[in-house]
Amino acid sequence: MKFSKYIQDRWKTILLLLFGVLTIEIFLLLYHISIFLHIYTICVIFAAFFLGNFMEYQSKKYFYEDALGKMERLEEKYLIVEMLKPVHMLEEQLLCDILRESNKAMCEKVNQYKHIQTEYKDYIELWIHEIKLPIAASKMIIENNKNDITKSIEEEINKIEEYTEQALFYARSSYANKDYFVTKCNLKEIVNESIKRNKRTLINRKIGIRIEEMNQTIYSDSKWCSFILNQIIQNCIKYRKETGAEICFMAEEKKNKVILSIRDNGIGMRKEETARAFDKGFTGSNGRIGKKSTGIGLYLCKKLCDKLGLGIEFSSEENIGTEVRLVFPKNSYSNL
Amino acid sequence: MQKILIVEDDEKLRHELKIFLERNGYEAVGLEKYDNILQEMIQMNAALILLDINLPNTDGQYILKEFRKVSDVPVIMITSRDNEMDELLSMHYGADHYVTKPFNTQILLAKMIAILKRVNGVVSQEKIECGSFLLNLSKSRIEKGDKQVELTGNELKIIKFLLKNKEKIVSREDIMNNLWDSEAFIDDNTLTVNITRIRRKLEEIGLADMIETKRGQGYILSLKENTGV
Repeated sequence: MKFSKYIQDRWKTILLLLFGVLTIEIFLLLYHISIFLHIYTICVIFAAFFLGNFMEYQSKKYFYEDALGKMERLEEKYLIVEMLKPVHMLEEQLLCDILRESNKAMCEKVNQYKHIQTEYKDYIELWIHEIKLPIAASKMIIENNKNDITKSIEEEINKIEEYTEQALFYARSSYANKDYFVTKCNLKEIVNESIKRNKRTLINRKIGIRIEEMNQTIYSDSKWCSFILNQIIQNCIKYRKETGAEICFMAEEKKNKVILSIRDNGIGMRKEETARAFDKGFTGSNGRIGKKSTGIGLYLCKKLCDKLGLGIEFSSEENIGTEVRLVFPKNSYSNL
Repeated sequence: MQKILIVEDDEKLRHELKIFLERNGYEAVGLEKYDNILQEMIQMNAALILLDINLPNTDGQYILKEFRKVSDVPVIMITSRDNEMDELLSMHYGADHYVTKPFNTQILLAKMIAILKRVNGVVSQEKIECGSFLLNLSKSRIEKGDKQVELTGNELKIIKFLLKNKEKIVSREDIMNNLWDSEAFIDDNTLTVNITRIRRKLEEIGLADMIETKRGQGYILSLKENTGV
């Protein structure tokens, strides 16, 4: 805030002042008043005007610069109104009142949407619990009536199950609340669980599994981790090479983290595309050559990892393979 | 025959579970009325109870909590609620295991067997009589008269599975499925190698041609031929 700018804004007042001074001068000239009084009057009037404006400028400058500074430092910018100190002036008070009122209206609007979203998420969760029942029943019926047709239906039912699961986690991921529950879990158990979930496809497609020595414990929500792993394994299956496909699981313990790497020898991804692997809806050139990609899997993994506080890294080379690394942080408390 | 009580309000699922359990050698009873679940659970005197969480008018976890005050009968929770909190709560209230729908029936069965074994204190069947030979599970070997051959873990699992389905064609896929369930993630080639080894070992003790290959379909273990010899 500059004084010159401030004065510029007051050009109408200055114009009026000049007009006033001019008329006074004309009167003084008409009455042949001494030149000293002329100068004195002009000086007093201008000095009073500039001094008054300068003082007002100072106080306004203080108020606005203070406000701007606080704004800079605030993380939630909309809370600025609570930080402002209207010292004396009517204008400042009015401004605060207006801001407060507008904030209140916005909060109400936001709350309204929050409420709608919560309701929707609750509905999705309920719906998924409901749909699991017919899925379970169908699978039981298939189990009791095994033949080629039901086996084929089972494959489709499994797909439905996977998509349902994805929807559930999508709903969970985009909601602010903490839905997860961190416990101590065995990494190998989670890996085994995820492999078993995909065993039918893995066996049918003749995909080999290699698990290197793995006995680390991690602290996380095992259900979420299992889902994330499941998505990664499904990608490995989707982008496998036709013969001799293999998925390799490796874990490595570092000072304050455990790294689980899932590596396949599949068709991989073009180098220039790897940076976008976690983008929503990104399918890449592989996705477009008929691999039926949704572009949701890895995006969701990333989102869930962010929520859980896990790291996720992706690297891939075309025709060589893809590696996804999950980084489970471990702090000194967990060793207690 | 051990009695299993199914407390599940979905009629179809209950019915199918019942068929499944009966086929696997249990006496399964499904609860039809849900007015007084707790009383029925106590009176039924079952060996094991499969309990759903979402029940009409009530909550399975609450019932479990009340049930535990009077009975120690093992309970497996079967539910579509898929989060750690519910699982923890159920275990805390005294559930022996927690399975989420849709479940893998083979894993459910394995858990049931394990729990029943532990609760009843029944020592696991150590030796299986198979006509001309004896499968010694605890020592992982096949015995025939005074001759015997050692089996590796996977080989034992394979032959056990073939025995369970004796005189029936068992596809390679089914064998692999079974092995994967017990976390032996072997591939196609390894299975072939394992089968060859088993055959050779059987041959060593004079049990050739017990495992027959059905081209394009799988394997069949037949005991009849050998008993006839």
